[in-house]
Amino acid sequence: MSSQFIYLSILVASVGTYFCRAFGMFSAKNIKVDSPIFHWIRCVSMAVIAAVIARIVFFPVGILTESTMLVRIVCTLILLVVYFLFKKNVILAVSSSTICFVILNHVL
Amino acid sequence: MFSSQSFKDGVKHAFGVPALGLGSSMFAFGAFLHSAGFDIYQSFFSTFFTFALPGQFVMAETILAGGTLLNIFLAVLLTNSRLYPMTVNITPLIRNSNVPKWKQYIGAHFIAVTSWFNFFSVQKNIKEDEKFNYFVGLGGFLWANSVVCTVAGYLFSNLVTHEILIALVFINPMYFLVMTVSNLEEKKIICSILVGATLSIFLNDVFPGWSVLIAGVLAGTLGFFIFRKENNE
Repeated sequence: MSSQFIYLSILVASVGTYFCRAFGMFSAKNIKVDSPIFHWIRCVSMAVIAAVIARIVFFPVGILTESTMLVRIVCTLILLVVYFLFKKNVILAVSSSTICFVILNHVL
Repeated sequence: MFSSQSFKDGVKHAFGVPALGLGSSMFAFGAFLHSAGFDIYQSFFSTFFTFALPGQFVMAETILAGGTLLNIFLAVLLTNSRLYPMTVNITPLIRNSNVPKWKQYIGAHFIAVTSWFNFFSVQKNIKEDEKFNYFVGLGGFLWANSVVCTVAGYLFSNLVTHEILIALVFINPMYFLVMTVSNLEEKKIICSILVGATLSIFLNDVFPGWSVLIAGVLAGTLGFFIFRKENNE
């Protein structure tokens, strides 16, 4: 892979990403806060983010494929249990899940 | 803008857990790029111009897999397409007639899952005309911090073992998940989240590449219509 190709790849990736943001901004010009479409798009956004997370946990690409699905699911459950058990403590939940991931991924 | 109190409040909000959550994943991305043979400038530019981690990983992995520029464009577009509904959703809130359009389009660059969630968690307590500055402070700081963390990850990748690197990559979806479940208050949102996650798993084999978008639109629409009355309360 040449250096020039990587820079071009970064350019097309940036254009693709910014297109989603700019087109979103353009599309929203007539949408008012508290209109039905505002609530609908909020539901869709949340569902899309949940779908992204589920896909990463169940069908990851890249270096996360070097972990097993069992480890990823167990650590996801640990995150949720710790989060709700310890008064929604974000740092504790994320760090517990990450530490368990390191240990389980090493052992299993 | 930069001297306004709302901008500073946004920066203050980003400083801490949001910056740490996203920064650790960006650090992992920088270390990953180093191990994959990218140079430090490429790492810098990737986060500087893209600032959407799942898509950045997809870009790097498509390059490594020998993909063409068109493959990369389409793969990143699909992966980062979640930013479209997110931007449509946040724009009516941060839109400000006193801010020139070009500035608002620059501000759109800071829309990412972390800034979006954190903004929504506090937006009701911010005055209408201060929301744009607050969001730019919040998102802008997360963006700048992400650029720094990517470069730091690249420079200090030798301090991180491969096993730790994989775990750092796992932090990103876990942080997204924590932010998602922190929003489980309205029934329509709970329904959208649960159905969206479930559908994306089942649709993965049927529509590879498109499962996330299809699941998101179907689940969000379902959640919205089933709990329609909630909107009027």
